[in-house]
Amino acid sequence: MRGVLGFLAPKLLRALIAVWLVTTVVFIVMRLSGDPVPLLLPPDAPTSEIYRVRRELGLDRPLPVQYATFLGNALRGDFGRSIHFREPAWGVVVRYLPATLELGLTAFGLALVVAVPIGMLSAIKRNSAVDQAAMGVALVGQSAPTFFLGIFFILTLSLWAGWFPTSGRGGWEHLVLPALTLGAFSMASIARLTRSAVLDVLRQDFVRTARAKGLPEAAVVMKHTLKNAALPVVTITGLQFGTLLGGAVVTETVFAWPGIGRLAIQSIYNRDYPIVQCTVFLSAVLFIVLNFAIDLLYGVLDPRIRPR
Amino acid sequence: MASSIPASVPVDGVAGVEAPAVRGGARALRTRRLVVAGGLFVLALGLMAIAAPWVAPQDPLRQSLRARLAGPTLQASDGKAHLLGTDHLGRDVLSRVVWGSRVSLTVGFAAVLVGGLLGSTLGILAGYRGGFTDSVVMTIADAQLAFPFILLAIGIIAVLGPSFTTLIVVIGLSGWVGYARVLRSQVLVLRSREFVDAIHALGGSVARVVLGHIVPNVFSSLVVVATLELARSIVLEATLSFLGLGIQPPTPSWGVMVQEGREYLHSAWWISTFPGLVLMLTSLAVSRTGDWLRDLLDPTLRGE
Amino acid sequence: MSHLTRRDLLKSAATLGAAAALAPALPGPAGAQTTQKRELIVAQGGDLARLDPHFSTSSNDIRWSFNLFDNLTSRHPDGKLHPGLATEWKLTAPTTWTFKLRSGVKYHNGDPFTSADAKFSIERTYDPNVKTMVATALATIDKIDAPDATTLVVHTKKPDPLLPARLAFYGGQIVPKKYVESVGNDAFNAKPVGTGPVKFVSWTKDDKLVVEAHDGYWGGKPDFDRLVMRPIPETAPRIAALLKGEVDIITQLPADQGERVAGTPTTRVAGALYAGLYVMAVNSKRPPLDNPLVKQALSFAIDREAIVKELWRGRGIVPNGPIAKGDNHYDAGLGPLPYNPSKARDLLKAAGYKNEEIIIETTVAYLSNDKQMSEAIQGMWKDAGINAKVEVIEYSVRAQKNREKSFKGVFWSDPTSTLGDPDGMMWRLLGPGGPQDYWRHPRWDELGNAARFSVDEKFRAQAYKEMTTIFLEHFPWLPVIQPYEDYGLQKYVEFQPNPNQQFEIRRFNFKFKRA
Repeated sequence: MRGVLGFLAPKLLRALIAVWLVTTVVFIVMRLSGDPVPLLLPPDAPTSEIYRVRRELGLDRPLPVQYATFLGNALRGDFGRSIHFREPAWGVVVRYLPATLELGLTAFGLALVVAVPIGMLSAIKRNSAVDQAAMGVALVGQSAPTFFLGIFFILTLSLWAGWFPTSGRGGWEHLVLPALTLGAFSMASIARLTRSAVLDVLRQDFVRTARAKGLPEAAVVMKHTLKNAALPVVTITGLQFGTLLGGAVVTETVFAWPGIGRLAIQSIYNRDYPIVQCTVFLSAVLFIVLNFAIDLLYGVLDPRIRPR
Repeated sequence: MASSIPASVPVDGVAGVEAPAVRGGARALRTRRLVVAGGLFVLALGLMAIAAPWVAPQDPLRQSLRARLAGPTLQASDGKAHLLGTDHLGRDVLSRVVWGSRVSLTVGFAAVLVGGLLGSTLGILAGYRGGFTDSVVMTIADAQLAFPFILLAIGIIAVLGPSFTTLIVVIGLSGWVGYARVLRSQVLVLRSREFVDAIHALGGSVARVVLGHIVPNVFSSLVVVATLELARSIVLEATLSFLGLGIQPPTPSWGVMVQEGREYLHSAWWISTFPGLVLMLTSLAVSRTGDWLRDLLDPTLRGE
Repeated sequence: MSHLTRRDLLKSAATLGAAAALAPALPGPAGAQTTQKRELIVAQGGDLARLDPHFSTSSNDIRWSFNLFDNLTSRHPDGKLHPGLATEWKLTAPTTWTFKLRSGVKYHNGDPFTSADAKFSIERTYDPNVKTMVATALATIDKIDAPDATTLVVHTKKPDPLLPARLAFYGGQIVPKKYVESVGNDAFNAKPVGTGPVKFVSWTKDDKLVVEAHDGYWGGKPDFDRLVMRPIPETAPRIAALLKGEVDIITQLPADQGERVAGTPTTRVAGALYAGLYVMAVNSKRPPLDNPLVKQALSFAIDREAIVKELWRGRGIVPNGPIAKGDNHYDAGLGPLPYNPSKARDLLKAAGYKNEEIIIETTVAYLSNDKQMSEAIQGMWKDAGINAKVEVIEYSVRAQKNREKSFKGVFWSDPTSTLGDPDGMMWRLLGPGGPQDYWRHPRWDELGNAARFSVDEKFRAQAYKEMTTIFLEHFPWLPVIQPYEDYGLQKYVEFQPNPNQQFEIRRFNFKFKRA
């Protein structure tokens, strides 16, 4: 038990410092980026009005004081009131979160379900036409800008073929195109990574032995490689999750999806500091917790990596 | 001290980690042919970028509202040939693609340079010094990875104002972690080898060890990460353009062109399709080259 | 109650004439279609920010607050003032307006509407304790009396000929006194109650706003049971949603996409000539823009005809000065602003222009086509020997620059004619202390001030004529286009848009075509 604790404690500390760094950077960047007040008032409002609203929002105080207040409140889970929504920022972000989780998890599930088998198939049938085609598509998936892909899907699969709704949130059919768009990048990465991980394993001695014993290729792959190849795949999965919110910003805008990606970007444009701070904090914590879990999973998947 | 994010896999963000080539006749030949094709493509683009003023058939900024949104044609209503059509201001798409290669490639290479210098310095430092330095660098890396990058980019650009330099710095900054992590782990391995101790024992300076022995040893990894980053940077420039944060008009870049043409995708598809195609092919060729370089150069594979 | 429906539509159609509020619909294949739908779905470019009408002036919001609420007076698609919650009004003393209010009107929650609500609503806009966002909209008012339930007497600080017009626009929406006072401002914003043709049901931010027809509406129940608004920010998906039949109406249809919508058998385009202008406002304090000759050259070097015809596909007209077509005192005899690059060159030479850089600060899609027009104009200016540069700024930066009056050169603005009168447009924005006060001219100021407080329309006409002449010498704005505000509709939708970005959806301007 103490061993595990000794392994976890420094990591936890670093995770906490990382979250603190992220929140501090976002605080500074947002404050430097401009004033939310002119956006709240009609263009012909007198200057006295501006000062009144600034005072009301606490924006007239010196920056260090604002920062101290922000940190103190954040520690208690209070991210302040949204300037735009006029309600607690935390409540707003939490309301937007399910839509993004729904989209993100579907995109990710879709990516895994499609990419892992394709990657494995590619590895087994390496250099075949299947392999070349799959890896070609994967490369395209990685090099097409997300917004272009999204609009392309809407025009072809929705408007032209009529299979899916063009945009908005609703039943499962609303989920397909945005999930495909958001997941395309991860799907491509995971497929290529799976392929290379499986190839790596296939070249190792125990697999060669198994093959020499005359076991069918598929059985060899299933039996020996899955677990070993899972390691890098799980890792990249954790890291890809971090790019998800970034992708969500674009995907949610294209598909009019009411999630935190769209909330975040609108809030940046509105200079709604509390919402931006809260969103970034939440996604950083999610990311770090997830990768923490993956770290632990490592120990399970690969006994060679022992907690130090 | 390990990072809380496993560093055993290079964090390339864009291209997955490709398999080392299984050395064998037909495969190697085909790979080489593909790589040669990719390399030639990138080279051709580079030449095109340098020679843009002579290659481009027209002035990329020359507008002709009366000939706007013309499809690929030999004679548009302004009497000129537009092989790839004209855009929403009647500018020649082909000429803009040619000139756009300048901006897109410059942004890509410059961003790679910024990210590569910063990342490899920090990575080597962390790996070499270890201890507290390592912790600090890797904590910053964790923080950066946990930060939804696009939001950070928007924030920074909002502060500094969109410009060519800002764009390069922002894209470059977004990529440093990849280099740092790969180099750190490699330096960790190298440092534990006897020759480093031997040099120290002989009174060699740290700088000499790093420049004379570590850098040459990690250079191949650096090149591999750099190619992957280059592909990512070019795509990222397009994404930032979509969010209104890219190159300032009227300067053409592929990203800007794809972005500007997206509203016309169903009526004037050529505006964003051609630059999009070139963008994708470039990114493809560059990351293919990267994969191949990895196979060729990766010292951890050389021993096998 | 139906006197405001069919007849009114016909009447307004007849009075259009020179005002030309109704755009010619683009040609499309014939074949009228019908529907049995009872639900209307509208997609617009952005979500609402706030439902409380006194807390927002953004066009995405007022499209809805003018449907949830009524004003005392109402500006119809014909550009004229019609009765709203007030049935008649007159000037009873130089500084006193008396309004006769409609009786028997009920709020969505069943409460009756009385003069106390009107008094409360108007006073609420400038009550310093409420801190509304429309505090200056009705600031000419001194005090309000409500002698009986259907009479409202408004005393202004100085004579205000335009008070009824002011009450038709933002700030003038009438909210229920009893309800607002009992639930508080935040709860009112979350669940607004008005007298308008639709009542609030639910609002899921960035997803959809749902409202229902108000059965007892005094103007007649609108031709639907339910109305859903979906924000779809990107243009291509918004149009795809219309073409695929997922939505019935889309707002902010770019001119370039009109043909596509008109060319689809099931959809069509409807537009209204914008009650206002798209102008490049000039920071006349920055050299060389402090020189009227340079500004004249800038104006001569803009090929507005090409912008209207090509960039806007004809969906707009070339302005002739600072007054929008359709407004009071618009001078139909004045020709469109001319394009003459060689004259521009001469003027530049006379002005001693030394190739100083002129910066065009533009947002992307804050006004439609803003970036494209900026690039086009930069090209035109370059051809005339003007060294111009386009800088793209984001909307919040624009708002801040607007506030600080720190624009570097010229910048886009879409002055809305809030009152159907130059006072609510050029004088509101360019007047002393106004948001675009970058240029002063003693005579111009004197005239503007006198016209604001005069109830003599002949005098006002003369004043605005002279102000236009001065304007065309100094160009504090470079008017570029008066565009159409276009909407994409299913063919089974009959809808006549309002020119001032309101999206009134009432019996007199909307119905489904039934089989």
